[in-house]
Amino acid sequence: MAIYYSILLLIILVIGLIRYKGLNKPFKILTWSVLVVLLCSILSQIFIYRYKNNALVLHIESITGYLFYSLIYYYLFKNKKIKIAIIISMIIVLVFFVINALFLQPFYKIFPTNIYLPTQILFAVFSLLLFNEMLMYPVKINIIKQSVFWYNTAMLFYATIMFFFLGLTNYLGEHHIYDLFILYFWFFIISVFHILLGIALITDKKKYEESYA
Amino acid sequence: MRSLMPDESLRILVLLTVTFFVGITGFITYFVVLYRNKQLKNKQEQEQLQSAFQQELLKTQIEIQEQTLTHISSEIHDNITQVLSFVKLNLGMISNVTEINKKKINESRELVSQSINDLRNLSKSLSFEHISLLGLVKTIEMEVERLNNSGLINASLSIEGEIYSLGEQCELVLFRIFQEALNNTLKYSKAKDLKISLQYHFELFNLTLEDNGIGFLVNSYLKQDGLGLRNIKNRAALIGAVAAIESSPGEGCCIKVALNPLKVRLYTDGSHPDRFS
Repeated sequence: MAIYYSILLLIILVIGLIRYKGLNKPFKILTWSVLVVLLCSILSQIFIYRYKNNALVLHIESITGYLFYSLIYYYLFKNKKIKIAIIISMIIVLVFFVINALFLQPFYKIFPTNIYLPTQILFAVFSLLLFNEMLMYPVKINIIKQSVFWYNTAMLFYATIMFFFLGLTNYLGEHHIYDLFILYFWFFIISVFHILLGIALITDKKKYEESYA
Repeated sequence: MRSLMPDESLRILVLLTVTFFVGITGFITYFVVLYRNKQLKNKQEQEQLQSAFQQELLKTQIEIQEQTLTHISSEIHDNITQVLSFVKLNLGMISNVTEINKKKINESRELVSQSINDLRNLSKSLSFEHISLLGLVKTIEMEVERLNNSGLINASLSIEGEIYSLGEQCELVLFRIFQEALNNTLKYSKAKDLKISLQYHFELFNLTLEDNGIGFLVNSYLKQDGLGLRNIKNRAALIGAVAAIESSPGEGCCIKVALNPLKVRLYTDGSHPDRFS
């Protein structure tokens, strides 16, 4: 399963790198984030194999993921207040990450749910706000061809389902049932998420998108 | 109870998963529909704004043109024809000349008289007041007469139906369309005959100009620099009329302006958003 996931990430990374010059700034950042996720995925497997615990990698992945995706949102939003809010949230999450990794959920042994859950809520909020902003300033391009739409859909899907998934995993994990189901379901979520990001990278163009407003 | 747990949990799990996917798919679909509606609405608004801007631009152009034509008309009438009349009088006052010279002077006086008449007619055709005073039919009749006298083309005018007024502004616009079409015919068509027709029906007025000239490809002409033809279409649109231009190489040209007199009132009395006033 991990190999398939890594291959998928590699394909998306290659797409991003091939189209890199033609991409807008947020989607250049997205390409780099895919690279980081791919490296984390490989490292995670190494850690599981060597130390039987990949909590450290997941801690790193949780904070880098938040910083990358928030930075992309920072460039996608037009509203200055939201931009400032994103920067503030990045600082707060970074500080909280350090506190959490050192005192609450030690980075060497516990999965960082304290970081994942609030950041998924923030992503869902950003996503809904961006959808709202898109409605306020529609551009003349078909929505299916808009990279912002695909990125935002990916984030909304990922953020909401992750929140939901973590709750379910917690419940099912306690009863030790459907472990394989959880694994497949998890693979399905991240695959859909990264495929949507891949579509965003394919559809993005460095051309000026003329607004109606 | 423990043995029932997996089935119960599975049901809840499937239900929650399906609900979630239906929910998120529904949300995204709703957003796409909403976005497309917004795009459509904005596109329509933008087109309306552009159309209103074009109309305003056209109105301004026409106003400036009318002012210029009125100025030229008054200059011809008040200045040039007066000077020519003075020249004619002076020529008449010349005495003690030989028979040959007298004949030449008389010929010159006749030429000056003809010039004065031509200039007066030209002045009238340019003047808004004159068109307003005489009406569309009379003014076109005079133009036809002027054309036939000039020998440039053999023009004929036919009128169908009972003549009614289309309103000063509308008739002025129609006359300017007529002039534009006439100008094109004389300049480019190499036609020998020109048929002009005015049809007055209850809910339809038609102005048609048909020549037997060399013709042209309408689409390619409009795409290149067909300013005259575009002017005809734009002017027609300004009073709520539709101008159709039919032509092909070797087949002459036919320009038809169709107008609903009831609709014209909307444009000229100020109740239409694209009104002409």
